[in-house]
Amino acid sequence: MHKRNAAFRIVKRSEYSVQRMILYYIIAILLAFGIGGILLAALKVDVIRFYKEMLTIGMLDNAYPYRSVEGLIKVFVPLVLVSLALSLAYRMKFWNVGGEGQFIVGALGAAWVAMLFGERLSTPVMLLLMILAGGLFAGLFGVFTAVLKVRFGTNETLLTLMCNYIALYVLKYFGETKTGWNLFLSKDSARPKFEKIPQNAFMPTIQMGRFSLNISLLLAIVFTVFMIFYLNKSKQGYEISVVGDSVNTAKYAGMKVGRIIIRTVFLSAMVIGVAGACHVSTSHTLSTSITNNVGWTGVIVAWLAKLNPIGILVTSFLISVLQYGTSVANANFTAVDANFANLLQGIILFIILAVDFLLKFKIVRTGKTNNNKEVA
Amino acid sequence: MATDSYAIELRNITKTFGKVVANKGIHLKLRKGEILSLLGENGSGKTTLMNMLSGIYKPDEGQIIVDGQEVSIQSPEDAKRLGIGMVHQHFKLVDVFSAADNILMGDENAGMLLRRNRYEKIEQIAKRFGFEIDPKKKVCNMSVSEKQTIEIIKVLYYGAKTIILDEPTAVLTVQEIAKLFRILRKMKEQGHSIIIITHKLNEVMDISDRVMIMRKGEYIDTVLAGETNEQQLTELMVGRKVSLDIARPVVEHTKPLLEIRDLTIRNDEGAVAIDKINFYIRGGEILGVAGIAGCGQKELCEAIAGLRPIESGMMIHKGDNIVGLSPQAIIEKGIAMSFIPEDRLGMGLAPSLSITDNMLLKRYQKTGKPHSPFVDRKAGRQFAQQVIDELQVVTPSTETPVRLLSGGNVQKVLLGREIATGPNVIVTAYPVRGLDVNSSYAIYDILNKQKQDGVGILFVGEDLDVMMALCDKIMVICHGRLMGVVHAHKVTKEELGLMMTGAMDISELNGKTAGIAKDSNIQEGGEENA
Amino acid sequence: MSAMDVISLFVYYIVVYNIALLYGTVGEIVTEKSGSMNLGVEGTMAVGAIGGYLMGCLTDNLYVGILAAFVFAGLCGLLFAWLTISMQANQNVTGLTITTFGLGLYFFIGKGIGKAWPVMQQKEHLLQQVAEIRIPGLADIPIIGKGFFHQNILVYLGFLIAIAMWFYMNKTKLGLRMRAIGENPAAADAVGINIKRYKYIHVVLGAGIMGIGGYQMGLNLGGTFEGSNCWINGYGWIAIALVIFANWNTAKAILGTLVFGFFNTLQVYGSALAETFPKALGFLNAIPAQVYQALPFLITAIVLIFNSVKKNKTSGQPAATGINYYREDR
Repeated sequence: MHKRNAAFRIVKRSEYSVQRMILYYIIAILLAFGIGGILLAALKVDVIRFYKEMLTIGMLDNAYPYRSVEGLIKVFVPLVLVSLALSLAYRMKFWNVGGEGQFIVGALGAAWVAMLFGERLSTPVMLLLMILAGGLFAGLFGVFTAVLKVRFGTNETLLTLMCNYIALYVLKYFGETKTGWNLFLSKDSARPKFEKIPQNAFMPTIQMGRFSLNISLLLAIVFTVFMIFYLNKSKQGYEISVVGDSVNTAKYAGMKVGRIIIRTVFLSAMVIGVAGACHVSTSHTLSTSITNNVGWTGVIVAWLAKLNPIGILVTSFLISVLQYGTSVANANFTAVDANFANLLQGIILFIILAVDFLLKFKIVRTGKTNNNKEVA
Repeated sequence: MATDSYAIELRNITKTFGKVVANKGIHLKLRKGEILSLLGENGSGKTTLMNMLSGIYKPDEGQIIVDGQEVSIQSPEDAKRLGIGMVHQHFKLVDVFSAADNILMGDENAGMLLRRNRYEKIEQIAKRFGFEIDPKKKVCNMSVSEKQTIEIIKVLYYGAKTIILDEPTAVLTVQEIAKLFRILRKMKEQGHSIIIITHKLNEVMDISDRVMIMRKGEYIDTVLAGETNEQQLTELMVGRKVSLDIARPVVEHTKPLLEIRDLTIRNDEGAVAIDKINFYIRGGEILGVAGIAGCGQKELCEAIAGLRPIESGMMIHKGDNIVGLSPQAIIEKGIAMSFIPEDRLGMGLAPSLSITDNMLLKRYQKTGKPHSPFVDRKAGRQFAQQVIDELQVVTPSTETPVRLLSGGNVQKVLLGREIATGPNVIVTAYPVRGLDVNSSYAIYDILNKQKQDGVGILFVGEDLDVMMALCDKIMVICHGRLMGVVHAHKVTKEELGLMMTGAMDISELNGKTAGIAKDSNIQEGGEENA
Repeated sequence: MSAMDVISLFVYYIVVYNIALLYGTVGEIVTEKSGSMNLGVEGTMAVGAIGGYLMGCLTDNLYVGILAAFVFAGLCGLLFAWLTISMQANQNVTGLTITTFGLGLYFFIGKGIGKAWPVMQQKEHLLQQVAEIRIPGLADIPIIGKGFFHQNILVYLGFLIAIAMWFYMNKTKLGLRMRAIGENPAAADAVGINIKRYKYIHVVLGAGIMGIGGYQMGLNLGGTFEGSNCWINGYGWIAIALVIFANWNTAKAILGTLVFGFFNTLQVYGSALAETFPKALGFLNAIPAQVYQALPFLITAIVLIFNSVKKNKTSGQPAATGINYYREDR
């Protein structure tokens, strides 16, 4: 009959090639930089110099290059922790997009402990308490969405999304309301302003020459290693893999699927809370923009890295360089906004999302693989 | 003879899926205004053939002639345009829409606006054919029978002259079937041609003008319903017995292991899937389960494994009622299940995980040091290697994801794991589905070896020849009801065929439940222990 | 100001400062009902805002601005559609990327144009077009007259689009088909509906509508680019919440906009009300602004939980939204 026969057909790939993926991703990044370059040129910016400064995070021709590394670490640590944590939930197809809120709750919890105990505790005890409080608060804040999802099938994407804003306004409330009991605010300032946390709650650093290495970086690396072991070696990690692959099989093997989901989401939210706690301790104060969008960026990083811990480590690093580098370069190029990082990140992602299609599917000429599709 | 006296003519249709030939040189002629039944066992290729008429598949070879014109059907739209409509087994309806809107949404000619009178229009069509529907009722509030009615009206509304129904009676009660048949006759009177796929011989005799029989992808014969009987149809459908060289070792001392008593199970839709059946599995015996697909086999397997709640009845394993136990507890009792669903990888295996990980599925909690937080992958690898060696699984390594293995090897991995747990009861469903001859024989050998070791095996199968050669006893289910348990070496293929299609019921010979008589001591034994 | 004037002005603010929410919500409903979950409302509105604003100011014509807002935002929708429908990309990730990208573009262009930024206040023709139109008679109704019948053209257009979309989705065959795809794409496919085409059209249409909303915010907020804060300022996210609150019904979205707008407006106007009615409304001063800001999200979360606990059958949430349809998976 008068029906055109498509000359090409799309077939799902069975194998996922890591080499191909890396190659495609590199091409995607180069392409995005190309587009970004054109945009920059349109603003009459010296593209090469801008990119150079951005990619070296301003270390060249700088009297204090180590400052740049310190700054980068402050961006990198929360991102890697949050992305890892989110990937845990995504492994079970639980769409936790509540990273922002959980981060805030964690930070609030940690700051509360720090303010409450003040100078009375030694730094290690204080830090431990802050991390515990941050993790616990955020874990509980996240886990109730999982309970609702398991019990009633509540849409977790929308619910965690709403929770982000509820948490944000709670934080803003503490930051903008001057009352006697609000221990988060500075007593000296007439206008509401977040008080610095006490000195003993500061994240310690290791001095290496003039460079001070933030302990939280070690924490992030230790946690990444822990995650690799947890996912690949532990029984709980094994359960996560099975539930993520086939819920029916998990049930058949006698696993309590609901409990596994709740436990994992709690862990996911808890780690985000710990990231929040560390961030407060590192930046020495709360702020209403404390998340620096890490909850959103984390979703993207986790997805880009295909939920693989090493991949997350690498991707987080690259995104951190992109974000921090732009903010540094931005100081010398007034025509470029700090949000250029977002723009570039968006373009890279669009290209990668499109390229992913070529990784998942292949295009074949019809006729060659006759009837493959109907077999399935 | 002029071809235009036929509504549809298929000539020499061949369709292959990979290496499997689903339809081989099929001829079909559908006269105008007749009801043609398409009869055949599972996997005989009926649905595939019909899907080529409705535009879901395209034939590799052959011609399709509609109203004397050769046509090519590329999509459901093409079929719709040619006046061919199919009512699928699984309804395709939007739950939150009203009946009328479900029908109207595909109407090319309806006006742009949804007017109030659309309900009346649908009601008129319904009345013409004797349907009773409420066009305003939402699909989610409808019974299965009502949903089917909507699907039929939909096809009629789109102007189909030829209507194909794929197992329309499977989901209906007796009264609903009678009503459906009245409607089909009315449609026939109004000049529609109908093809109906069914397994039930009494229905075939009742409704059809002619019956076309297919077997294993091939065309067998077409007979006039008025000139045949159930006996002849069964013979045509199952064919002559084929002797297979499958060993059936005899185990001298068999002992009862699992008794199923008055078991009733509902399916996902809430209909009765298994209706008060009684049987038991003995150690050292293979009990075959024969039945048309979708007669409750899946639900039965799931219930035994503890995955599906049961409506009533008991399952007594070595004296303990296992009803209500968790899947984990049932595994610990030594009841193993290897169920291969239609998509092959849906249950029992995690397709993206390695063979090693799949081996550990049921024992990851216990392998290695107790209470250790880590999975003992080393043991898993050994375990995987052992299964690979013993069952000759072809795989690059123990770390290969299961989904990359071929069908036979997937089956071996699954069965190998179940056997390696040292079960006393194995429930296995379709273990040779999609396998070549050599792989199939390897599976039979595995099962026989287990049997000789005193394991009780429930074998849900498809191929009657295989079951007659391999099993010790065969129980036949027809639409959830037990038709009888027979000795495999005594029964004839025709008898099995008649039982499967519901034409013969020996479940209550002499007032006793078939097959129970000889081993009735199990019941007392069971209660003593309980 | 008399007490009546205070209330009247309050209603006026509710409408004029929140109509953009209605655009965002209606756009998202159109998108979700056709089976796509676009979390990029915020970014799409930002792109619409800047595109519309620039083109409108350049040509000194409001209608060019509206068209440009629709087209620029529509392009974001097209990108989303291409990635999720043709390229089968994950909808959540794509949506978030649209937001990141859209906000990035907004600031990039905004800051880049910097000094050359056209000032709306100098565009007389445009100002004239955006001036409030008084609907005789109706505008004199006490309390609500000013709020609903003495507004600029974009406010009227917002209500009109919401009502038109309600009519389209519930009373026309195309709307029926589009909803069928959002509920059960396999069923729609079986009756021969072209799923890809419908999805593309509605994602782009939805995004375009969001874009006009963004433009409205840009016009409303004085037309100066601050560089520190996007005009959209979280309204895109409130719109996603409002979709749930409105139960995926564009007519109910009007009501929802007024409810959410009521809280939004109290935030800035509460003290004026408290001053005018110290006895009855004096307590408004005691309620912190953050409560009003959080309320839309809190209410939505409660509605969401309530619906799932009750297994609400009348929920308008399309069943297949957020899931990519790949015919050969069925």
